[in-house]
Amino acid sequence: MVEQVTDADIIIVGGGSAGCTAAIEAQRLLPRGRVVVVEKAHVKRSGAIAIGMDGLNNAIVPGHATPEQYVKEITMANDGIVNQRAVMAYAVNSFAMIEQLDAWGVKFQKTETGDFDVKKVHHKGRYVLPMPEGHDLKKILTRVMKRAGVQVINRIAASRVLLDRNDRGRVAGVVGLDVRTGEVCVVRGKAVILCCGASGRLGLPASGYLYGTYENPSNAGDGYSMAYHAGAELTGIECFQVNPLIKDYNGPACAYVTGPLGGHTVNALGHRFIESDYWSGQMMLEFHRELHSARGPVYLKLTHLAPETLAEIERVLHGTERPSRGRFHAGRGRSYASDEVEMHVSEIGLCSGHSASGVWVSERGETTVPGLYAAGDMASVPHNYLLGALTCGKICAENAREYVGAVDSPGPDGGDIEDERQRLLAPLGRPRGIPHHQYEYKVRRLVNDYLQPPKTANRMNIGLEHFLRAREELGEVGATNPHELMRVLECGFIRDCAEMAARASLYRTESRWGLYHHRLDYPEMSDDWFVHVNLKKDARGEMTVHKREVAEYVVAMSRAELAGYHGIRVKEPAAGAGAAP
Amino acid sequence: MSDIPDREQRKSAQAALVGNARTVRDYDVPVVVDLTKCITGCRICLDSCPVDCLAVNPETQKAHMRYDECWYCLACEIDCPKDAITVKIPFLIR
Repeated sequence: MVEQVTDADIIIVGGGSAGCTAAIEAQRLLPRGRVVVVEKAHVKRSGAIAIGMDGLNNAIVPGHATPEQYVKEITMANDGIVNQRAVMAYAVNSFAMIEQLDAWGVKFQKTETGDFDVKKVHHKGRYVLPMPEGHDLKKILTRVMKRAGVQVINRIAASRVLLDRNDRGRVAGVVGLDVRTGEVCVVRGKAVILCCGASGRLGLPASGYLYGTYENPSNAGDGYSMAYHAGAELTGIECFQVNPLIKDYNGPACAYVTGPLGGHTVNALGHRFIESDYWSGQMMLEFHRELHSARGPVYLKLTHLAPETLAEIERVLHGTERPSRGRFHAGRGRSYASDEVEMHVSEIGLCSGHSASGVWVSERGETTVPGLYAAGDMASVPHNYLLGALTCGKICAENAREYVGAVDSPGPDGGDIEDERQRLLAPLGRPRGIPHHQYEYKVRRLVNDYLQPPKTANRMNIGLEHFLRAREELGEVGATNPHELMRVLECGFIRDCAEMAARASLYRTESRWGLYHHRLDYPEMSDDWFVHVNLKKDARGEMTVHKREVAEYVVAMSRAELAGYHGIRVKEPAAGAGAAP
Repeated sequence: MSDIPDREQRKSAQAALVGNARTVRDYDVPVVVDLTKCITGCRICLDSCPVDCLAVNPETQKAHMRYDECWYCLACEIDCPKDAITVKIPFLIR
């Protein structure tokens, strides 16, 4: 028996950045329609930017860059494996979103003449728009969403997408768990937009603290797993997210904020070794090499900056994205003025916002399952960041609106709901079972041991064996309250993502995207692998991997242009540094 | 009892079946609530926490960190209307 049933026209799972704009747009297009947001946390502080953001990393502002230039830059940063139509759809729609945010009261950095103050951080073009007052962003989005009349249900952890009882190929709603009461909830609707964020609790941070992740740890890969179980294809899972972060703190250092003000990455000799601090796999490979060389570790250098510049950096970095970093530095007696900031390579995650892993989506935000859409860090538009989430959420809503107008009401299957109810609540029957944190620690430690790049088939096969065994062990994990039920549910998401990461990485027998898919047993990039690697659940319920052709480009690129991110290492100083003691 | 001949075989079979045991210990957790400032019945920080690790302590009726699952994001500290919350960086990271 299910305790709560809600009916909707369009259901949005996850009220973060993408979810908010999806809901606002859906409600605008359906003024009398029922738009329901199902949120695991509370929308006022949920999603990847719970506390705010210090800038837009991929703003295509007229006069500074064109959509064509941006599509080229993102194509080269991804070694050519992109669905350019989806990147282009983002590129041409994103400036309107900036203007919309501006009108809603989001404060962007502007020049004396009132123009957007765009900075260069990428290897080629200029796309970074600072937002020094970005601590209000989520509050503004939440306010606009509430005023639009969207129905928000907080503290519901969605667990599965429901399929129609007759047509198993289309969606009929979502089912989830109230994480405070333990009630099982069903929302029925024609279209579902998944906006569940990254798989941010996949690798284990080197600190050993389960929640000391780069991504908001609420984002446990829920959307990747839910889309998979609904039958949708996922792509680029082997293109892991690996970030250059403040060591131990595991937050961004943050070169995007400090770079335009004069900060940069150096090795232990104080020498620059990369030409661009923009996060790409190619940059991460050079970062990894430097870190593990005699010239390591790697630091963010700010000590040469003027006191007023440092004060500005502190004001932005200690007030927006991860404000506790000031407390972290102070606790160790360090300051930007006197000490360089030690950096390291993060544990792995899956996140299209930074790399390319995600649920396969078209330029309309459609997954391969009719009625199912995805946006933000979990949808496959690469390097999409915050503005990508905001823009693609809106794109999904437009197309979902069209879809719900054209189809009749689906009906979820009562048997599916009952099965899911039993699966969700089963851990309560094992109050003395394995605690969720022990299970999670083990799976994530094994992810580090066997999947962290550089990768080899030998290691990944052992890892895969462990992840398959972990599927059985999940049945031993117990819970004593609704909160723990949520964590056990997340353990399943994390395990699913680990298996996907292993299988997709084993399948692609070449190296690509620098460190993200650096295989020691196949060290070279190969033209034979100029394809997407997609995975899905087959009719027997098994995970299968296949190749998907790269669609014809909308912006033609030469071979030389495609290799544009292969010269990230600084030539002269690095050679000199290599000869030093 | 190390002289029993089939000891290892028996114990290894038993090890796969025996249940789990309870331990009790205080931990260094990140979110610290000043009970003299925290308002009874106010649930603002409980709403703010993205990982839902805060709850009302039934003994004090005030907020407390119930689960050691903190992202040290400071949402609870920033949103608290009485400045009753201090977030420490988790010990493993400090």
